Amino acid sequence: MANDILEQLKSSLLDLDMDTTIENVNSIINGDNTITIQEAVDAITEALQVVGKRFQDGDWFLTELVYSGEIAKAAMNLLSPLMAAGTSQQLGTIVVGTVAGDLHDLGKDIFINFARSAVFEVIDLGVDVAKEKFVGAVREHSPLALGMSCLLTVTTGEIGKVIEELKGQGIRDKVKVIIGGACLTEHFSKEVGADAFAPDAVTGTDIIKKWAAS
Amino acid sequence: MDFKERILTTMNHEEPDRVPVMGLIMDPATVNQIKGKKPVDFVGMLKTPILKNNIRRLMNTNWFWRKIYNGNFSGALEGAIKLGFDANWVIYQLMKLYKEPESKLGMAFHDIYGRVWELDADDNGNMMVNYSRGLLTTEEQWHDWVEKNAPLFKTSVKNATRFYRELTDQHGDRIFPFCYAAPGIFENSWQPIGFVNFTKFIYQKPEFVKKVIDFQTDLFIKHLDAAMKADLEVVFAGDDLGQKTGPLMRPELVEKLYGDSYRRVAGYVHERNKKLIWHSCGNIYQLLDKFIEWGFDGIITMEPTAGMDLGKVREQVGHKLVLIGNLDVSYLMVRGTQQEIEDAVKMAIKAAAKGGGYILSTCHSHPYVDATRLKWMVDAAIKYGKYPV
Repeated sequence: MANDILEQLKSSLLDLDMDTTIENVNSIINGDNTITIQEAVDAITEALQVVGKRFQDGDWFLTELVYSGEIAKAAMNLLSPLMAAGTSQQLGTIVVGTVAGDLHDLGKDIFINFARSAVFEVIDLGVDVAKEKFVGAVREHSPLALGMSCLLTVTTGEIGKVIEELKGQGIRDKVKVIIGGACLTEHFSKEVGADAFAPDAVTGTDIIKKWAAS
Repeated sequence: MDFKERILTTMNHEEPDRVPVMGLIMDPATVNQIKGKKPVDFVGMLKTPILKNNIRRLMNTNWFWRKIYNGNFSGALEGAIKLGFDANWVIYQLMKLYKEPESKLGMAFHDIYGRVWELDADDNGNMMVNYSRGLLTTEEQWHDWVEKNAPLFKTSVKNATRFYRELTDQHGDRIFPFCYAAPGIFENSWQPIGFVNFTKFIYQKPEFVKKVIDFQTDLFIKHLDAAMKADLEVVFAGDDLGQKTGPLMRPELVEKLYGDSYRRVAGYVHERNKKLIWHSCGNIYQLLDKFIEWGFDGIITMEPTAGMDLGKVREQVGHKLVLIGNLDVSYLMVRGTQQEIEDAVKMAIKAAAKGGGYILSTCHSHPYVDATRLKWMVDAAIKYGKYPV
């Protein structure tokens, strides 16, 4: 029975049915405690893993990725306040932002949805983030990874500036750097000294999960 | 052959004397570099308390907007002629400068569709303008905007008609101006609303989405008509339908939401005996056959950083679609060596030019595209692009 409800929760999310997903979450919250909040969160995480696989395999497209992320966010907004402190094992902290001069947030926000659902703590610095703010956040939060998003070719130089600043302050080896955005490539990532390039939000989350596991 | 015969022969999938070269010059930085002119520090002036409100008032008058906007594209065409291009695109937009507390400058452009465009300057002081967000996040806001801006839509069509006509009259004897009606129906439907909100509306408010698309289709056709009044044989339109790894939207959903609009657009162009070139950024392999089905005659961009391979595209649709573009602007046209550019030109010609149907160009433009490298590209096309290739 408990498994049925969790399966229904996953199915409704994968059917991109916002109303039914929220109904399922509410029935778990208001139910007889046979299903824990953590189990519901795990079910959403598993569903998003399926979403990620479908996107990476080319079976799903950005609209489906975005909408499933929005459904998961709405579900997590109901579940998160009910989670007892310490019950969920965070995989680590990620500091994320769009580089200085660039105001695009779509890719960054999709990544944040997925990373949070994969149980990372995400510090979102927003858009048009100065190098000092990136480096300051790395100092303050000691994250596992620093993610920089960049859509515009004219702002790619900012990525190198942040990495140089990390080196200059002697903390480059304390954090993994991952970059993503329309104008970036694997080649650029190597050239600028990042640890990884993510062509999409799902791959980015997967790469950081591997870093967390190692 | 002259530039026009070269372009039109290529558009008919026949071999001209050599591969034509198209410029995508429009950024003030590139125009100034070609002219050897120092930029006007417009952004700097907007930071000056005494000047900023006067500049805003001036920019928002129609005559001044037309003067500076037309002037920039006139400069772009002159620059393209100087570098030896056979064609260059020209794109009309109407924007107003608004006080915008969220913006760094405290001001930003709002276009007539409800998009916010942020202003900034590059290291040399050249103005850069980039889309940042939509203003119309709710259905009510969208309806209010459309009602309130009805006079501006008319002004925009009127200005656009004059813009394309004047530029063609002034420069059309020396270069082919590809008059580009933009932004497209897809972009105009989601960007003012924001991608996340628009996606939610697709699933939650499909009737509203249909209303938006129908409205934008009608308005787009008016702008397309303005571009066609320049009376050239080829017209440009477009929509960025792709992202880095694939289409933004499932192709079946694009067909369901936009298929009739795109067929209508292509039909409108063909009824007037003209040809339609379609621009889309991103990875669009899965939409190429749709482009043929909708009636497009050619495509421009094929972004290499999104995995678009010119040879593969040629193999898939080159018999039906004229191909334009593919030279990289992330590295090659910014920092590439002359040898690298020559090699890229030779490779593009080898991949797509045999039998005609290919126009060499960069895949896009941005302020850091270097004019010297554009000239190298043109020189390489002249050197290696003579038919038979």
